[in-house]
Amino acid sequence: MKQIVRKVFKTPGLSSAFFMVALFIVAGIINPAFLSLDNLQLCINGSVMYMLLAIGIAFVLMTGEIDVSIGSVLGLSAAFMATCVRDGVSLWIAIPCTLAIGAIAGLLNGYGVAKLHVSSIIMTLGTMGILRGTVYIYTQGKWVENLPDYFKRYTQASVFGFVNVFLLVTIIITLGIHFYMSKTKKGRYLAAIGDNINGANLIGIPVARTQIFAFVLSGIFASLAGIIFVSKVGFVPPTAGSGYEMKAIAACVIGGISLSGGVGTVIGAFFGAIIMSSIGRILVFLKFPSEWDNTITGILLIVIVVADSLFRRHSAEKARKERLSARTLNEEREA
Amino acid sequence: MDKIRKIFRWETALVGILVAQIFIFGLINPRFLKINVLLGSVNDYISICIIALFVTFVIITGGMDIQAGSIVGLTSIVMGLLWKVGGMNIWGTIPIVLLVGALCGAFSGFLIAYTGVQAMVVTLGGMFLFSGLAVVISNAAVSSAFQGISGFPAEFVQLANGKSFGIPNPFIIFIVLIIFAYLLLHKTKYGRKIFLVGVNTNAAQYAGINTKLVIMSTYILSGMGAAIAGIVLTSYLGSSRADFGAELTLPIVTAVVLGGTIITGGKGGVIGTALASLVIGILKFGLQMVGFSTQYLDIPVGILLIVAVAIRSVSAAGGLKFPTFMKSKGQRQKMAGSAK
Repeated sequence: MKQIVRKVFKTPGLSSAFFMVALFIVAGIINPAFLSLDNLQLCINGSVMYMLLAIGIAFVLMTGEIDVSIGSVLGLSAAFMATCVRDGVSLWIAIPCTLAIGAIAGLLNGYGVAKLHVSSIIMTLGTMGILRGTVYIYTQGKWVENLPDYFKRYTQASVFGFVNVFLLVTIIITLGIHFYMSKTKKGRYLAAIGDNINGANLIGIPVARTQIFAFVLSGIFASLAGIIFVSKVGFVPPTAGSGYEMKAIAACVIGGISLSGGVGTVIGAFFGAIIMSSIGRILVFLKFPSEWDNTITGILLIVIVVADSLFRRHSAEKARKERLSARTLNEEREA
Repeated sequence: MDKIRKIFRWETALVGILVAQIFIFGLINPRFLKINVLLGSVNDYISICIIALFVTFVIITGGMDIQAGSIVGLTSIVMGLLWKVGGMNIWGTIPIVLLVGALCGAFSGFLIAYTGVQAMVVTLGGMFLFSGLAVVISNAAVSSAFQGISGFPAEFVQLANGKSFGIPNPFIIFIVLIIFAYLLLHKTKYGRKIFLVGVNTNAAQYAGINTKLVIMSTYILSGMGAAIAGIVLTSYLGSSRADFGAELTLPIVTAVVLGGTIITGGKGGVIGTALASLVIGILKFGLQMVGFSTQYLDIPVGILLIVAVAIRSVSAAGGLKFPTFMKSKGQRQKMAGSAK
């Protein structure tokens, strides 16, 4: 039993999943209506956008960098996609072009960080401002509205009667990326760079290329989230996505990804995103005023990271003591 | 000595940019050159300037503070509540508000210094927490968070809108704070400790410095800086609202970094930050005056940030930077020599 508990705690993805289940059960005990199938479905379907953002930024966080521009990338992609849909451009053209926006933004970030050695928070802070300004220029500060209904219905499309298509795709993507990052050689590069960038360089990992790759993926996922934003919300204000970068980072941290890099899994980010976006809904079901949303998010974030850090320090200390006592035992035996 | 010269050069560059800005905007719109207009423009971005001064301390220790913006909203609404609901004298609320700012900073600072969680994560949590708390208490006590409290006494509103000796009061507050922060960071033992903690925390620890306390104290300072900004902003706009400062986080970090403070800590200065925050403020104000829409102003600021930092990082490394082991043997020996 003890071993199982330890194993659960050592797998970051699993521990956040358990945390999510515990949170849902507590909410369900106080108000059983929360655990109804309809509500859970809404809860999880509603977090698809955050999942995509969190998975994307997880690549960057794994390499030990940060990307605060994804909210603006989401905004620009959403605005572009929405105008395309409104003007009747074929989706086969619109979607690749939208994803290209994210890829270009990511390329820019990656180039600055990997080649010009601007620290990632500065670089992405800069592109964040530039892209947000571009959104205003592109939309002339107006909302993009009057989208055709067929596009808004996409987020409600489901297979087998109840599984949302976007959710299904996101789950498949998450599992694929988890496999890629934990089992393939190139995927391990990301964690290696995050763990020790100089070491990674010494053993011949193409650090710059991998970093750029991570930023490009982060941008592409933000664009994907932007497309979902358009379909889900049905209109795009020029402020779309501002502040989402912080929520995505918080989701990753809750999911067990360390901001210093090298630690964590995308599965953790996936569940972290569900927790982040469900807090508001849980509050409603607990008859709490919804304005507590940010306060609870903040408390939850701080409690989780502090508890995690104390737990880690405790276990490190314990391991050190065990090592010490083993050494003294050996010395005694030799004597 | 070399280091001082380098920072000095960067600060002169900032002064150059500032003068060039004023010159160019003055050419396009002569009204810009009126001293009243120029000084009066400070009011629009004074909160960024004030907070950035103290966030500089945090970043020099190698930390990160993205919560300061949300403390502005919290302190502003606390001030309004104490005055309106608590029935206190408006001047009497100021020490309490400063204390609230200090407590917010102390809370995050304590967690960062004593539990070893990354500063970025804790202050991210703090950002959610404090902005959330501001909305909660404002809703609980008055009405909708976005309505706010107004109708402050005229003398208080005069604090940020008035002038003494022909200079707008916020500018005087800013100058006083620059002098205070400069003396504290560059002329006291405490300031040297902050730099040492930033250069090498372990070495500072072995040198007998209570590094944890120093780290925590910088967050308290930045919390108090945010509280001052909250007071000035409340006075300037004549109302207190929970959502003040929500947009400030990124301009603050921009100002600090543009001012020459290294994000990894150990190097930087108050004067650079003050100049950089003025550069950003005047750039925005000037572009507005020559007819740019306020919504586009993030673009030039973003470009300025990236270009300035990229040029500095590339030139500091003597061309494109490579990790040590990729340099030729001679270069490495030279580096080892200079390290000694």
